[in-house]
Formats: sequence, structure tokens, C-alpha cells
Amino acid sequence: MKQIQVKKIVDNIVEKTLFFTALLSASFIILVIGVIFERGISPFISDNDGLGPVNLLNFLTGIIYLDGPTFASNAYGIGYLIISTLYIAFLSLAIAMPVSIFSALFIAKIAPRWFASILRSVIEILASIPSIVYGLFGAGVILDLVYQLSVIVGIQSSAGFSVLSTVIVLAIMMIPTMTVITEVAIRSVQKDLIQGSLALGASQTQTHFKVVLAAAKSGIFTAAILGVGRALGEATAVSLVAGSRRSEISFDLFKTTATLTSTMLLGMKETVGLDYTIRFSIGLVVMVVILLTNVILNFVKSKVGRVNV
Amino acid sequence: MFNRFLRKFIDIFLQITTFLFSSISFLTLGAIFLFVFNQGWSLVNFDLLIYPYESSTILAEPIDESISFCECEPTIDLEENVIYSVKWGVGLVGGFDILGQPSIQLAYIHPDSPLKTLHNKGFEGGNVTLLPEYLVQKISYNDRSASFARRGVERMVTELDSSNSIYEIEVITQGGGIGGSVITTLWLIGLTLIIAIPLGLGAALYLNEFAPKNQFTKAIRSLIETLTGVPSIIFGLLGVAIFIPLTVALTDATGGNLISGALTLSVILLPVVIRTTEESLKVVPDDYRQGSLALGASKAQTTFKLIVPNALPGIIASILLGIGRIVGESAALIFAIGTVVKDEITITGKSTSLAVHIYSMMTDEPANIELSSTIAIIILAIVLVLNLLIKLISTQLMKGKLGGIN
Repeated sequence: MKQIQVKKIVDNIVEKTLFFTALLSASFIILVIGVIFERGISPFISDNDGLGPVNLLNFLTGIIYLDGPTFASNAYGIGYLIISTLYIAFLSLAIAMPVSIFSALFIAKIAPRWFASILRSVIEILASIPSIVYGLFGAGVILDLVYQLSVIVGIQSSAGFSVLSTVIVLAIMMIPTMTVITEVAIRSVQKDLIQGSLALGASQTQTHFKVVLAAAKSGIFTAAILGVGRALGEATAVSLVAGSRRSEISFDLFKTTATLTSTMLLGMKETVGLDYTIRFSIGLVVMVVILLTNVILNFVKSKVGRVNV
Repeated sequence: MFNRFLRKFIDIFLQITTFLFSSISFLTLGAIFLFVFNQGWSLVNFDLLIYPYESSTILAEPIDESISFCECEPTIDLEENVIYSVKWGVGLVGGFDILGQPSIQLAYIHPDSPLKTLHNKGFEGGNVTLLPEYLVQKISYNDRSASFARRGVERMVTELDSSNSIYEIEVITQGGGIGGSVITTLWLIGLTLIIAIPLGLGAALYLNEFAPKNQFTKAIRSLIETLTGVPSIIFGLLGVAIFIPLTVALTDATGGNLISGALTLSVILLPVVIRTTEESLKVVPDDYRQGSLALGASKAQTTFKLIVPNALPGIIASILLGIGRIVGESAALIFAIGTVVKDEITITGKSTSLAVHIYSMMTDEPANIELSSTIAIIILAIVLVLNLLIKLISTQLMKGKLGGIN
């Protein structure tokens, strides 16, 4: 009798402990959002040690980020960064998406089995390479290539640091993950659809492009959402090839650029003061931008992704 | 007829296009490997772990004034260009530095040489051990005039042999070592796994074995899932805002340190650990649980004696995935631990991981691409091995070989 009671108590303790670990794990996201929000909002409502509060509108629409010798509470404008971050993310998506869709189709449907498995391993390895190595590769190879290209077309570029280099590096980083997800989506397309298409006289390739891809739309969109998320959040690799532009929007492919996250890494010397807390504000903007992009893409997905083949 | 011909042509064209697009992945991987090996292979060397990061000038004197000479033959075959002083037991080789000035490198030092361990005359004090590849700048003697590197290696060895008492030696240590960052990375792996694995295992056990199926459990699940979508630089901010102040308050740390870095990494790893562990828990058939309970085991006994052993493959997989993530993480650690490269590693002191070491060198002027590539080779090797192991485990798991139940 006593033994059963002891067992019950032990059971209870174990369950409570495990529940606590689950609760703790779940609370971290709340902690992250809470901290970023609390710190990120403070430059706008506090006095910033005598510098005066930052003007929110100025911050969100400004086109100069701490350029030049002046240091003031309103020296931080990130409007141009928001635009260039989105611009870069969607340009890299425009490159990565066709490449990953075609690669996934090749692996899932066209390539012979042995070749597909080699390709799959290559893509798995690419997916597990850390971003700092991609950054190093970008700084050592892509910058040089882009610089050579700019010389050929006769446009001035600062040693290759440019929108183009950033977009190429980001696209290279996005392709493996997007290919893996797209391939899964393609392989889970129902056999009936494919056989129906073939029975109606369409060729294999016609079926792949017109039926399989259309049926896998939803999965392809999921891949795109993840890819854009990666592009928006990537910091180190971008900071090594972007050229940390301090002012004005530039859509020119060969001009230097900067993103929200790469700017957060700029010159971190102080650990107190406005120059530091403003990074939390940028972090908050990054989270909002990612959230909004996800919502919009998910909306588009629900509109377009419905299969009616 | 023509239509079918055209169709065939378009089909083949499209197929070739898919092949060309997928070969981009091949090319990228090839280019990355070619680049890092081309740039960094020449520096891959065990000495990287011994040398300090910064090169420095050391002024050292013999520990004992009345030294007996070595008079020892070299224990290994020296290369032809090494000039060896039998009297002092050191082999020197002449060369030129980056500025084209003559320089003298220490090529070999006999284990019994009186010059092996010297007393450091600098303010750090203590003893200093001469290592091969140090550059010898100047040797001063008690019984004759000093010899200088710029006068050539033959003259230095001749003068060395003619002297009976050395006053002091000036050497430049070889820099570019990554030993400190390797040790920091190992510490980070250890500390992070100690925090993240038990926490993640606990959460996975609760969610899979104990949690009631209700809205609250669903909410916990989706909160944990949301963590995966947060960019790593945001976790860095969490480290700065919470974990660094926490460790500064509780320990003698003054800024970013190993513990704050490990805590930040743990948060990043948690969703991965929980998901991977849960997947291996789901494979355990319900019959086992019911059988165990029916035999009179309590819920806790069933969990720890039956379920946890079965979750082992998942735990191993999450350890491997975790190591990969820790080794590669840069953005979060730039904030949470800092970019200061150190040789002496203390748990509450500043130091940096291998990945951030690359970042720190690439943002320096001028960027050190060679050493960065060498570190990249190390990171890539780790990532490849981990990939292979994970693949091995998952295929074993599919064959049912790793399940704990016999």
C-alpha cells in the first residue's frame, strides 16, 4: 500500500518537473519578443541620457544611418534599409525560386535514381554549411566575380561590394533548403493526377511542368516563405559582401547596399547607450517585417496555392 | 507530324534545362571547396593549435647563468637548409620576411638545449618555451658583441658557437594560432548540450507522454515551434539583454562570456532538440507503454526505463545536429559572447568561437582570407562528419537496429 503511495508521489513529481521543462521551453519565445519589444521601444520614449527621444517617424522613414560625424538621437534613419532589405530578399527569391523548382523536379522525376541520390546528398551538404562559410566564399569569390563583371560592363563598383553580390550569396544560401522542401512537395503529388494526365495524351515532360508543378504549388510557396525568411534574417554573410551603405536607397545592382540585420552588426563597441539600444529597435523592425511578409505570402498561398487541376 | 516533332524538341529542351539548373548546386559546392582548400590548405597544421593568435616580441634570458652546454646531436633528420649549432642545440634557417629583409627562423630545438626554456624578461614574467618557427631577432652575449638577424644565419650560428654565455635572446613568436577559439568552441559545445539536451528531453517527454490533448498543450507546442522562425541575430539580442547581465551579476564576468554564449545557443537549439527527440518517441509503439503499465510499473518507471532508452537515437541525433549548429553559429554569438580572439580561455572571460573568429578576421583591415579559409576547412570537415553520422543513424533507425527494446 505504502509502495503505491510512494509511486504516486514520484509520478507526480516527475510529471511536474517535465511540465516545468516544457513550460520553460515555451516561455523563451515570449521572453525573446518581450525583451526585443521592451528594449526596442525605449529609444522612442526615454530621454536617451540627454540626447532626447528618437522620433519614430524619422526612424522609420529616414534615409541616413549615422553617416558623418554628427551623433544625435535622430541620426538613425532606417527607412532606406527596410526598402533595400525587401528589395534584396525578393531579388534573391527571384533567382532561387526557378533554380530550386527546376532542381527539385529534376531530382524527383527526371534524373536516374543513382544520380538523384548523389544530387540529394550534395544539396544536404550545402544546406548544412554555416552562413559564415558562405560569407567567406562571397567575400573571397563572388566579390571578385562581380567586380570583374562591373569592369566588363563599364560601371563603377566599390571592389564588388554590391546589391548583386549580396543577392547572389543569399540565393546560393536559399537554394538548398528550398529545393529540399519543393522536392518533398513534388513527390507527394498524387499518382492519379499524373496518370490521368498521361492517359489524356500529354507527354511525360508536359505532365511534369503543367500538372505536377501546379499540384505542388502549395509546397512551393512554403519553400518560398522559408527562403524569404532566411534572406530577411541573414546577418553575417550579408555584412561581408554588402558594403554597409549608410544612406539613401539605391536599386543599382552594382552599388553598395545594406540590410537591417547587417546594419545591426555595424561597429559594436559600446554595450550601453543609444547606439546599442537602437539595435533592439532595428531587431523589432526585422521581426515585424518578417511577420508581415509571412502573413502576406501565406495569404497569397491560400489564394493561389489551391489545387484545381 | 510536325507538332509531335516540336513537342519532342520542347520536352528535351525542358529536361536539359532542369539538369542545368540542378547542376548549379554541384558547381556551388565544388567552388566552395575549391576556394577554401586553395586558400587555406597550406595553413592546415597542428601548430595552429599551439601558436597564440597575436604574434609578439619576447625578450628572454637563460634561467641559469652557469649553464652547461648541450653538445647534442639532433634527434631528427634536419632539412638541408638548416644550420645547426651542436653547442647550443638549436637549428636555424635563414629566409626573408614580407618586407624582403633577412630573417632567421628557429627550425629545430633539441629537447636538452639550454635555450629550450627561458626566463621571460617582459612584464608578464614567468618562463617561455621556444617553439619552431619563432623568428630570432637578436642574441646578446656576456662575452662578445651581439649577433643580429639582418647579418645572416651563417654568421649568427658562428657567433653562437664562439660564445660561452648568452645574456638575452629576442624572438618574435609565430601568430595566427586558433587554439583559443578551438577550446572556446569545445566549451560552448559542452556547456550548451548540458543545458539544452536535458531541457529539450524533458519537454519532449512531457509533450509526448504526459500532456493532455487540449488547447494549452497545443499552445505550448506552437510557442516552441515559433522559436525556429526567429533569425539567429535576434537570439543574439536576447543574449545581450538577459544572459550577459545575468552572468555578470552572478559571476566575475565583465561582458560576454562562455556561459552567456552557451545559454543563448541553448535557446536556439531547444526547438531542434525537442522536435528530433519527439520524433523518436513517436516511433515507440503504444503496446509497450500499456504492457509496462499493466505489469505494475508506474508512469515514471515506464518513462525512464522504457521510453527514454528508446529515445536514444533521437537524443544522439539532436546532439549531432546541435554540434553542427553550435560550430556554425555566428550572428547570435557575435552579440552573446563577443568577437575578441583570446588565447587563454576562462569560463567567465572573453573569448570567441571558430565561426566568429572568421567573422572577426574578415571584418579586420586587411581581411585574413587564408586563415579564415583554414578555419572554414575545419568547420566544413566537422559539418561533413556530422552529416554522415546523422545519415548513418537515420538509416540504422529505419532498419530498427537502434531501438532499445530486444
